[in-house]
Amino acid sequence: MTSTVTRPSAPESPVPAPETSRSGFLGLLQLPVTLVRRVISSARTTPGLLTVIAVGLVVLTLLTGLIGTLMVQQKITTTDQLITDREPQTAASEEVYRSLSDADATAAIAFLVTGPEPAVLRTRYDQDMAQAGAALAKAAANATGDAATKVTTISQQLPSYAGLVATARANNLQGFPVGASYLQEASNLMRTTILPAAGDLYKMDTATLVAQQADAGGFPWFTAALLVCSLAALVVTQVFLTRRTNRLLNVGLVVASGGMVLVLMWGVVALLVQSSLIGTGEDDGSRPVDLLVQARAAAVQARADETMTLVARGSGADYETNFQQLAPLYLNWMQEAKGMLSGDAAAQVQTAIVNSNNWLATHKDLRAKDDGGDYVDAVKEAVDPSVPNNASTFFDNVDAALGKAVDDGRQEFVTNTNDGENALTFLGPGIAVLAVVAAGGATIGIRDRLREYR
Amino acid sequence: MRRRSTAVGAGASGRVRRRRGPKLAGLLAVVAMLVLGCGGPRAPIDPAPVGNVGEPMPAGVSGAPADAAPDTTGCDTDSLAPSSAIPAGSTMAKIKQRGRLIAGVDASTYLFGFLNPASGEFEGFDIDIVKAIATQLFGDWHNHVQWMAVPSSARESMLEKDQVDIVVRTYSITCDRLQQIDFSSRYYVAGQRVLVEKGSGIHGLTDLEGKRVCATQDSTSLQTLAESSVRPIPVSVRNWSDCLVMLQQGQVDAVSTDDVILAGMARQDPNLEVVGQPFTTENYGVGIPKGHEDMVRYVNSVLDNVRNGGAWRASYNTWLQPELGADSPPTVTYQ
Repeated sequence: MTSTVTRPSAPESPVPAPETSRSGFLGLLQLPVTLVRRVISSARTTPGLLTVIAVGLVVLTLLTGLIGTLMVQQKITTTDQLITDREPQTAASEEVYRSLSDADATAAIAFLVTGPEPAVLRTRYDQDMAQAGAALAKAAANATGDAATKVTTISQQLPSYAGLVATARANNLQGFPVGASYLQEASNLMRTTILPAAGDLYKMDTATLVAQQADAGGFPWFTAALLVCSLAALVVTQVFLTRRTNRLLNVGLVVASGGMVLVLMWGVVALLVQSSLIGTGEDDGSRPVDLLVQARAAAVQARADETMTLVARGSGADYETNFQQLAPLYLNWMQEAKGMLSGDAAAQVQTAIVNSNNWLATHKDLRAKDDGGDYVDAVKEAVDPSVPNNASTFFDNVDAALGKAVDDGRQEFVTNTNDGENALTFLGPGIAVLAVVAAGGATIGIRDRLREYR
Repeated sequence: MRRRSTAVGAGASGRVRRRRGPKLAGLLAVVAMLVLGCGGPRAPIDPAPVGNVGEPMPAGVSGAPADAAPDTTGCDTDSLAPSSAIPAGSTMAKIKQRGRLIAGVDASTYLFGFLNPASGEFEGFDIDIVKAIATQLFGDWHNHVQWMAVPSSARESMLEKDQVDIVVRTYSITCDRLQQIDFSSRYYVAGQRVLVEKGSGIHGLTDLEGKRVCATQDSTSLQTLAESSVRPIPVSVRNWSDCLVMLQQGQVDAVSTDDVILAGMARQDPNLEVVGQPFTTENYGVGIPKGHEDMVRYVNSVLDNVRNGGAWRASYNTWLQPELGADSPPTVTYQ
């Protein structure tokens, strides 16, 4: 900088731009105008007009091919993402909700069992927490906006929850009744903060999944319009040429039109098949799965309510009210899902419904026992798998059957959606090749006519 | 040297620079803008900002009671004279016929009424009273008591609805409660004191000004705190154990209630201590639904035996003596 300043020979003011450069710049601006003028003037002659038409047709067909191919690739990507991203994301947030509810219920059951905590329950709780953590990491991976806020809430509170359960356990081991209070506090945190956030997260992910399914199965109106335009242009050109030259057929243009018609037919058929398969994946797969997932979550929560009523010993009326509200909900969801399913999945849901009804009967019985003062028997009926008609076994059956039905439904979704994706595999390259053929046909067809003017 | 000559050179060319300066500076600014882009300085992004996490609290935490303080001076708290007779058609005869005494008790007050997690049985000083009543009724309390864990706020309502025969649950005899239910004679005299962390600097009620102090909803302790001239900040919870949870979590500075309940908490956490002199007198009685005078008299006769025989001392020595020192049964007068 200093050296520049000290150089005495440097010009004191910049050299004014020469007039030529300004006119050159303006000339550049005027270039398209000149071009259009020239094209218009040349189009007044028939050969010139034919050249313009040829260029127009080539551009239109190639553009149609390009946009069509891109659209198909885009659809393949969207459909593929349904299987690889969106649906696993939804399943992950479902897993967060379910495993946390189950952890809550399991921790409560461990408290109802007198003496040292059974290893089975301990393992189940640990498994639930580990599963929730792993699923949360997956659910968090692509979460943005509101969903990210929910993930943050869950990941911030989950360590607190685990800590409270551990404190409850430590006190319980020493025979201190304050352990039950810690457990109730933990359960309260789970129910009022963590589970609502997990439920919201699941709802958001489901909404995104449904939106993307609609996107993947939607009809590409713009591309279709473009295709129809190029086809119309080809036909109009042919009519025009027939009038001008009195020749009935132009082979090149016929080939070009044929290519475009083929694109249209192939595209419509492939897209209809793909859209219908995605629809099937939604109707037979993701939609019943959504209902089953909600039913399963509600059932786990009802189970937690059932056990917490017993843990609270007399001050658990709120838990029981919750249970009574949840029971009809999940029964309805199961019925509705069963209507959408068939085969093994429907049979599983039926098993779940039968076990739910048995469980409800047992619940009524054990509530009567507890309210009548027969606490010990009520607890046994609730948590002891060796007692006949115990709630524990019925609930586990419901949970397992729903889990299997959910797996079946997910498989149904993946199979159909994947088939839908496969329906498009050759369409993209096919459109590209046919568009090039059409462009070539148009070029050759018009070149043949142009030659006649030489 | 070189540096200096450059400086001189710069000074000498000052006049030249004055004319070319603005243009050059403008050019440099444009270049800088193109190279560095627009916008102000940027700070590194906090990848995971955490605001107030919000400590977990027991369910149903609230503040001061809505009710007015009980008027303990305006009535006769003496109970009816004892009678151990069980005439036909009496309340006791009905209980015997049913085969079970339905007792409302506490499941979470260590030493007085609690559920032993190891055995799954109710234990404590109050529980021994229930067992004594059942033993006198049936000859053996085993399989003749239906235990109902009741929250302290539900004691009156359960008695009024006749859902329980008796409530033995650190139940202070007050004039307010006597309008809704009947009480037996007193079987224990407790006093409200303060439970704090060791070394907290709180030595009694007078140190509680502006401090958060925990008690259960609808308890006389909460009302005493709310009425106190020391003006502590009352925090109410559902069960006494929740107070211990909040104290251990640092959410309250102290728990204030009857010394026996505090003793139970101190037993569960060696870092806590009971401080100060008792500033109330709480007479524990057995709650009985109104209109069952025969039952009141019968329970009083049982309590007479408990107080005068060895049962009271045996129970006291088992549960409370290690925390509260030696004591003897309260004296009783009847109407």
